[in-house]
Amino acid sequence: MSYRERMQRLELLLGEAVINLEQLKELVFHGLPGDGSARPLVWRLLLNYLPASREEWGPFLAKKRTNYGNFVADLLQPCCAAEEAADAAEEADHPLNPNPDSRWQQFFRDNEVLLQIDKDVRRLLPEIAFFQSATKYPCEQIVSGAMARLHERVGYVSLQAGSIVKRGIGLITKTSTGTSSSSSDGGCRPNNKGGESHWEVVERILFVYAKLNPGQSYVQGMNEIMGPLYYVLATDADEEWARWAEADTFYIFTHLMGEVRDFFIRSLDNSTSGIRRMMEILMRRVGGRDTQVARLLAQQEIHPQYYAFRWITLLLSQEFPLPDVLRIWDSLLADRKRFDFLVDLCCAMIIHVRGELLSGDFATNMKLLQNYPPIDVRDILALASTFSEKGVVAE
Amino acid sequence: MAKKTYDLLFKLLLIGDSGVGKTCILFRFSDDAFNTTFISTIGIDFKIKTIELKGKKIKLQIWDTAGQERFHTITTSYYRGAMGIMLVYDITNSKSFENIAKWLRNIDEHANEDVEKMILGNKCDMDENRQVPKDRGEVIAREHGIKFMETSAKNNINIERAFEELAEAILNKTPSGRPDPSELPDRIRAVNPSPGDRPGVISRCC
Repeated sequence: MSYRERMQRLELLLGEAVINLEQLKELVFHGLPGDGSARPLVWRLLLNYLPASREEWGPFLAKKRTNYGNFVADLLQPCCAAEEAADAAEEADHPLNPNPDSRWQQFFRDNEVLLQIDKDVRRLLPEIAFFQSATKYPCEQIVSGAMARLHERVGYVSLQAGSIVKRGIGLITKTSTGTSSSSSDGGCRPNNKGGESHWEVVERILFVYAKLNPGQSYVQGMNEIMGPLYYVLATDADEEWARWAEADTFYIFTHLMGEVRDFFIRSLDNSTSGIRRMMEILMRRVGGRDTQVARLLAQQEIHPQYYAFRWITLLLSQEFPLPDVLRIWDSLLADRKRFDFLVDLCCAMIIHVRGELLSGDFATNMKLLQNYPPIDVRDILALASTFSEKGVVAE
Repeated sequence: MAKKTYDLLFKLLLIGDSGVGKTCILFRFSDDAFNTTFISTIGIDFKIKTIELKGKKIKLQIWDTAGQERFHTITTSYYRGAMGIMLVYDITNSKSFENIAKWLRNIDEHANEDVEKMILGNKCDMDENRQVPKDRGEVIAREHGIKFMETSAKNNINIERAFEELAEAILNKTPSGRPDPSELPDRIRAVNPSPGDRPGVISRCC
């Protein structure tokens, strides 16, 4: 099928009253129109957020978006306000309350999570200016001042923790006045009152997610999964969709994490769905397709943990420039056996540089795999497709 | 295979809380540059730099680790291979300093007993935001008998010195009765092939 033919079929397919998801996957696996205009809608469908029937979209989206608004209102409530609202009969809570269930203790625990999120969202996709720029659709409660900005909360905590330092015995000195910005790296400043930067929106989505998924909370790298999703939805040329980028990203992120969350959970590292198992499958496939390279990697003890851990956990989002990542994700998300193609793709990346690998020593090969060279991603996509056509090598 | 142009190979590891500047320290040392826009390290990263000490060419293989707890299964497996560990905190973040004790316990659990250690208080260019006085760093280092330095990857303060002192401490442990240097790298490869294996070995095997 030619590119043009494929695009025409895609347009027809997306225009239907009930969208055939299987056909959609087949088409999208080979890529989307170059301008990316179809991507926000397609990703919402592929990630099982939007129902197949267009008729249902209106009420469905309205409900979801209202729900997200409620999450934000409930979960971002600062502690003191919650305390004011608390039942008067309840035992008085205060910041030094040692009870681990106390709201103040919860507040401090949340802020630790928030601090980590804050550090990471400020250094999200620094090669593009997008995340530092202002969103057209900031959170109303934030810009009106009804709700504090999340990063101000952690700024406050670090001031509190650092303002009093014990010197010697008993002597207490106040050492720092102004609020210290603990995330000095990145050099990105929050948007002034009246606006919000895109990274502040991403911070909020991640925090809401962490609060709603306490067992998993926030793990470094989730920001990198969030980056492409939010970018695609927030740069939608259709303003009616773009204005809901925050809420919708929250849901498609939640759905995507539902499928890859095991990579992020340390205790599942050795389970069948965990990261170690994925790396094992990868190495077995490399072995089945290129014994020479597999033997070399084994000989030089270049373990997949050194490079494929990041490739797989982050769905290759840190290995290529953003436009290439988006193209790769079209195929990853359209994969019928979702994330099996990811393994084929990683395998293709290794075999694509086999010439360099076979002539390199440990150090050069490590550098090569950890800083994958600029390539035309269509080459590795094509190579990986030949693997999946040949079927999965016996595992 | 690349030509062997060094006499000794030392494996170093950078650990510490997330965001304290481990990657920036390494980047300053290996590329003599500062970049404020580093993405967070996921898993483990790797750089090489060759230095000269006491007439010996020493190849430093430096592993940069992710700070968050989740990555510890991945990163602690490198401890055993390390001959030197740099433990980094951020002087503008007291929490990262409090966690030094936790990181030291990690070293005790996972690293070789005779691994050379050094504590670095990074971001010392940001004195106006300082939360950890220098003497607190000195005290904890003295208690554990570890070298200590305040550094700034941004202003290039003490970065080179820190790596050189750590390398020198490892070098001083290496007995003088070494084999012919031209042969050594192969032996290193043979006896000390991966961070998962016993390391400091270069000195002891010979």
